[in-house]
Amino acid sequence: MAEITLRRVTKVFADRTEAVHSLDLDVPDGKLLVLVGPSGCGKTTILRMIAGLEDLTEGTISIGSRVVNEVPPGDRDIAMVFQNYALYPHMTVYQNMALSLKIRKLSKDEMKLRVQETAEILHLQELLHKRPRELSGGQRQRVAMGRAIVREPQAFLMDEPLSNLDAKLRVQMRAEILRIQQDLKVTTVYVTHDQTEAMTLGDLVVVLRKGELQQVGSPEELYERPANLFVGGFIGSPAMNLVEATVTAEDGARFVAFAGHRLRVPVEVLDARRELAGFDGRTVILGIRPEDIEDAALVPRADPGSRFPAVVALREGMGSDVFLHFQVEAPPVVTDDTRELASDVGDKALEELREQASERRAMFIARVGPETRAAVGAPTEMHVDTRKLYFFDPATGRSIGEAPEAPSMHAAGAMAD
Amino acid sequence: MKTTLEPPRAADTKPEEVPRRSAVRYRVRRFSHKALMYAILLGLTAIIMLPLSWAFTAALKPDIEPVFTPTPEWFPSEFWQWDNFRRVLTEAMPFLRYMINTMIIVIASILGVLLSCSIVGFAFARLRFRGSKVLFYVLIVTMLIPWQALMVPQFLLFVKIGWYGTYLPLIVPSFTGVAFFIFLIRQYMRTIPRDLDDAARVDGLNTWQIFLRIILPLSTPVLTVCAVFTFLWRWNDLLGPLIYLDDDSKFTVALGLANLVTLADTPWNLTMAANLVTVIPTVILYFFVQKKLIGGIASVGLKG
Amino acid sequence: MAKRRGLMARREERAAYLFLSPWLIGLMLFWLVPIVASLLLSFSEYNIITPPEWVGLENYRDMIADRTFWLSIRVTLKYLILSVPLYIVCGLLLSLLLNLVMRGINLFRTILFLPSVLSGVAVAVLWVALLNPDVGAVNEFLRAIGIEDPPRWLDSPTWAVPSVVLVGLWGIGGGAIIYLAGLQNIPAQLYEASLLDGAGPLQRFRYVTLPMITPTLLFVLLTSLIEAFQVFDIAFVLSRGGQGGLGDSLQFYLINLWNEAFVNGQYGYASALAWVLVLAAAAVILVIFRTSGRWVYYEYDPERER
Repeated sequence: MAEITLRRVTKVFADRTEAVHSLDLDVPDGKLLVLVGPSGCGKTTILRMIAGLEDLTEGTISIGSRVVNEVPPGDRDIAMVFQNYALYPHMTVYQNMALSLKIRKLSKDEMKLRVQETAEILHLQELLHKRPRELSGGQRQRVAMGRAIVREPQAFLMDEPLSNLDAKLRVQMRAEILRIQQDLKVTTVYVTHDQTEAMTLGDLVVVLRKGELQQVGSPEELYERPANLFVGGFIGSPAMNLVEATVTAEDGARFVAFAGHRLRVPVEVLDARRELAGFDGRTVILGIRPEDIEDAALVPRADPGSRFPAVVALREGMGSDVFLHFQVEAPPVVTDDTRELASDVGDKALEELREQASERRAMFIARVGPETRAAVGAPTEMHVDTRKLYFFDPATGRSIGEAPEAPSMHAAGAMAD
Repeated sequence: MKTTLEPPRAADTKPEEVPRRSAVRYRVRRFSHKALMYAILLGLTAIIMLPLSWAFTAALKPDIEPVFTPTPEWFPSEFWQWDNFRRVLTEAMPFLRYMINTMIIVIASILGVLLSCSIVGFAFARLRFRGSKVLFYVLIVTMLIPWQALMVPQFLLFVKIGWYGTYLPLIVPSFTGVAFFIFLIRQYMRTIPRDLDDAARVDGLNTWQIFLRIILPLSTPVLTVCAVFTFLWRWNDLLGPLIYLDDDSKFTVALGLANLVTLADTPWNLTMAANLVTVIPTVILYFFVQKKLIGGIASVGLKG
Repeated sequence: MAKRRGLMARREERAAYLFLSPWLIGLMLFWLVPIVASLLLSFSEYNIITPPEWVGLENYRDMIADRTFWLSIRVTLKYLILSVPLYIVCGLLLSLLLNLVMRGINLFRTILFLPSVLSGVAVAVLWVALLNPDVGAVNEFLRAIGIEDPPRWLDSPTWAVPSVVLVGLWGIGGGAIIYLAGLQNIPAQLYEASLLDGAGPLQRFRYVTLPMITPTLLFVLLTSLIEAFQVFDIAFVLSRGGQGGLGDSLQFYLINLWNEAFVNGQYGYASALAWVLVLAAAAVILVIFRTSGRWVYYEYDPERER
């Protein structure tokens, strides 16, 4: 077991693209750390550098107390699980798992014992003499895990190990990975682009964007106190609703106004976000998570300062709750951050963002209780849990009044359009 | 050109036709189409097989019978002089000797090609190094330039180092790689997923072990193709042995056979027997590997 | 380029050059040294016994005055013009035929590809007998179907090169294998799509098959052009040991080169001939590659470097 430390790690590829910029990262001993971010954020490159499959341009990587920059992958005492499993097609499951032990010149008996033990952990005993092409996707995934576990390495590196599985199997394997990691207590670095996976798996989650670290924290920290607009928009599903708003002060109370609506900012929020006072009369980016908006009819004795009217455009019943989509008569937030977030969802989302911007109408989603009677086309009163409002500085993208110790806060891009 | 004409349309696909009748017609047309294709194939088969059958007939004739008859005899009739083959192999002509000689060159060349081309192809396919692009262009150039253009200086070189009259000039170059096979192997190895190399590196394999344990076992289809091509190329080669071999006891089958026809007095029945004897190994090999060969060429993908 | 090449890159590079070393040595010994030697020799007179003597451009001047050289060019070009289009078209037609889904097609494939594995010498020996103008089977057949005065084939300066072309046509299966591989790489969906679009067989060939096999066509065109300069085995046997045939009608370029070098011992002059061959091959390759962009269609970029 060992911790993994990255210091000022930079990777510039031969074509001069900078994949990782001066990254500092600590993976505590025995913990599972998830690297998450949209494609091109450098997460896989970081993993490959830890594995030794990619050279560093600058900086150092240590595993345990040893700097491994110059240590070849096979001698770093790490095991890796690949997205496509990378099982050797011409070898049986047993041979796949035993190869690394064979290279390390373990005795035949010990090799056999360790493969058997690992096979038991993963329920692979019946498959040991099959070849990869005879296995199902889930079985291949388990063999790939087994090949890593059998090594008893100091660290596991996992590169989107579940992305080739169907949704149901993915949930199942996610639980299994979590169980194995907690049983074995092996330091693990896990790369994914799926924020749900990141939130459910990680002891620590690292959000990356374009080779730069955005925030490190527990899943709860990232969700409750995103360091910036990018993290706020990236973590959470459906994504946080974002809109330009103005902060006003009246009669000692502070309000945030958008699209002709006005919400009162509670005192506890003001206390937590002291910087907000400096934004009186100025534009901020207001973020409201869908799960913090409720059909006002379901909230008895709601404060009028936390309500606003809306017309439901689309209703999606999920069983446990209902998603209501509605328009807000204010332009959506279009910055480099939100554009990248949208393009990560898909070209269509990016197109929609552009359309909303040109019509100066943002689309909001509310996640409301299943008892709601809100119907499409009907005016509905929405209630916002104003204790959970998020505020971002439109100039820097930084969260206002939050986490001044947040590392490497680079300008998240100026307002566009 | 005027473009007001109707697009061309087959006469029997007019839309107003009754469906059932058109279905019958369709089947008749398909049947006659198929019959025509079979007729062409059978005709082509005859063009291939009849000359071979004639050679076989001629090879079985006794010395006194005329090989050329007023109407060609395509199939063996009453003679069946199997002894002709024995005479060609050991008695009248030393074709058994020639076959053994050729086999030595063939086997050594296959060994050389498989050893050298696989590791060079591996380097081109899967290793990153400075100068890879330039060297690959050099490879392509050497593949396209006919080697015969260099046979004079190569000959002089081999004479200088005393290899004239030995098999070494026919064998040793194989051990330094054949551009075409390197190219084929490289193309094939590029299709093997990169992740396997990465996984192997993490598993502690070095480059040589990755080649030996991972990439080589996965490349058997293309290696088979290369081995077969080398066999055919070496077995059938005339120019090489013609230049380098001077002693009759060292001749290859191609050279021995070519020598035969330049001597005016060789009887035709024995010539044809010798001819058949020399092609038998290639034909046997062909029947064994023809599926793999066609599949191999397809999988190697000659995409230019 | 990265500022400092890391451990992995350095190790990989060292391994790469180690792996390449057999080929690099061969490149040196069997290509670079001979190329330089051949260039120098082409400006020298050399008979292996006495040391080479520098003669400047004399070999090339001799070449221009050499009747046999020009004859060999004529014979080679005649062969090229007759054979290349014929082989390309016939090979393609044969492969289309053999690509049909029919019972027993594999047997036909096996038979029709058979001649291409036979040696040039064996095929030539067979056809020397078959093409005998007086008693050969081919002319017996032609007389039987009423052609009173069939060609005298190898004994006729006019028909000698066409005879070689004809013998080559008998082994056309080799080219067809390569086309067949190309045809089998065409995705079936393309045909299905074109069927739904209402395309007939000819249109399917024109708009699907032909564009999709242009890379194969390029390959075959290139190799068959270069091979036309390399005709040797068949001509050697058909002209009874490389004597050039009746009236030098089989004096192919390589036959002439071989005669000059290994029969006459004119190594300097032969090297000059070899250099002309290299330049001709290079010119063909360049012209084909320059123009290929216009008609060769690549489905995807095969170079996907990381």
